[in-house]
Amino acid sequence: MRQSQSKSHRRFHREVGSWLFLLPHLFFFVLFVAIPLVFGMVISFFNWSLLSDNVFVGASNYVRTWNDSRFWPVVQNTVIFAIVSVPLTIIVAILFAHILNKKRFGQLWLLIAFVSPAFFGSVGILSSWKWIFASFPSGLANYYLNKTGFINGAVSWFGSTGVAWGVIILVTIWWIVGFSILLYMGALQRIPPEQYESAKLDGAGPWKRFLYITLPWIRSVLFFDVVRQVILAFGLFDQAYILSVGGPAGTTRTMVYYLYLVGFERQDFGRAASISWFIFAIVLIFAVIQLVLVTKSIRSTEG
Amino acid sequence: MTSTVAINKKKLSKRITAVVVTILLWAFAAFWFAPIFWMLSTSLKSTAVAVIQTPPEWIPENPTLENYKIIFAPSGGLSLIRATLNSVIVAVGSTLATLALSIPAAYALSRLRFRGRMLVFWIYVAVLAFPGVLFLVPHFFIIQGMGLTNSYLALILPGLGGTFGVFLFRQYMLDIPGELEDAAWIDGCSKFRFLISIVIPYVKPAMLVLGLMTFLGSWNSFLWPLLILSKSDKFTLPIALIRFSAGWGDPYRGIGPMMAGAFFSVAPSLIIFVVFHRYLMKGISLGSLGKE
Repeated sequence: MRQSQSKSHRRFHREVGSWLFLLPHLFFFVLFVAIPLVFGMVISFFNWSLLSDNVFVGASNYVRTWNDSRFWPVVQNTVIFAIVSVPLTIIVAILFAHILNKKRFGQLWLLIAFVSPAFFGSVGILSSWKWIFASFPSGLANYYLNKTGFINGAVSWFGSTGVAWGVIILVTIWWIVGFSILLYMGALQRIPPEQYESAKLDGAGPWKRFLYITLPWIRSVLFFDVVRQVILAFGLFDQAYILSVGGPAGTTRTMVYYLYLVGFERQDFGRAASISWFIFAIVLIFAVIQLVLVTKSIRSTEG
Repeated sequence: MTSTVAINKKKLSKRITAVVVTILLWAFAAFWFAPIFWMLSTSLKSTAVAVIQTPPEWIPENPTLENYKIIFAPSGGLSLIRATLNSVIVAVGSTLATLALSIPAAYALSRLRFRGRMLVFWIYVAVLAFPGVLFLVPHFFIIQGMGLTNSYLALILPGLGGTFGVFLFRQYMLDIPGELEDAAWIDGCSKFRFLISIVIPYVKPAMLVLGLMTFLGSWNSFLWPLLILSKSDKFTLPIALIRFSAGWGDPYRGIGPMMAGAFFSVAPSLIIFVVFHRYLMKGISLGSLGKE
């Protein structure tokens, strides 16, 4: 009896000792992750502002967002952006990862060119891209595309919706693909080369080798990257804010951009919080759909 | 005799193909990286020349540092030197604090046994999937409630609850051989001493990776500083650059200084990448894969 008591006492001490290592981080986790999640939920049920008193309004922020004629176009923009940019980025990344995994003379230069932009800040690189896509004839894109005959006359790149989105997608892939390249390079290096050799002997072409060997081997990284990129795509803000300033006529506004306008320009924080939960729901739905699609496509090649 | 010639010929043509492919790749890489070259090139021209010049001059005929002089001269209460200093303070502070918090937490979650350990771990993993936008509004009011608007802490604190670092360190720490631990217990080594003398040297590569990524993340951070900073003396470099460009009115009228500022903000990231790319590659693939 006594012994067991001192034993549990010792155990208690040991556990408290272990918790102490976790506690400092846990403190910040609770303060800046757990509490904000609850707090954000609370704010979304209030008419919350900086100056006047906060009034409980029930679900009316959600209803207003749901019925907001400016919200759904913004959702549509972001969803289309995600549907186009996520698969493209992944394809480009896997392609580059294959190329970069072969040791070549000047390997570092190739890595700098294709990978390093992912580590650059948005303001720096986006202002350079904005300058390249300047609307006047001496703008770099206009000049060269005129010279090569792809376009005739100066294009106002951010003057029409479709073109502006094209530029945003192009620039986004250029910017973020490097991180995914690194992911796939690491994954590809783990595939035993004998697998390819025996497949080659069996007469499997490059496409078949990719489907039946590469894809299953990089599956876990692919999952990780899909989720990461979906979250990233739905967080799209900097590109729209800096390149097109949401224009023309608000048609390149994204969900986060809209949240920024409602919350921080118009200071309707309750509604902004409700928008953030809409975004969360949409991201969740999307991540699940993408994962199911990826799993299915891999299953079908395995089965 | 003829057969060896044929083989040599085959070898030779293979080598030529390899060389050609490599050269083509270099050229394509130069094309891909052109926006950075163009940024640097424009920053060395006077704006009047840069805006009207055709054909585009990639290597400026009359290079000038005038733009760099402009951006470092304080104007309207905005100083890029001050902003750079702010960015460095916030980035270094974030990095050190993240490391100091994540390492012991990862140690507890990977090497120590206590009730609730796995629960905490799974909660930590689950929140990795939450988009950052959920936190903007509540963080804004928490920081405001703490009276920290327009402070360095406003930029450092909210990131410290992040769990990616804990997750990454845990991956590394699971690798520490159990025998090492047993030997240490027998020697009467305390948990704290084990952490300092065995675990930390073991995870040094991860410290470098997470340190670099935290530093760059903070250095590049845009939306949050944009929301929480209203006083120019606390502006970080990206915010100061955006405000600078707004002050020039039509952005192309100030394109020379803007590109100088852009290059100045990108250069540290480029240098970090060149020096540490090997560690970044290793750390990133480990963070995504875990052990297989």
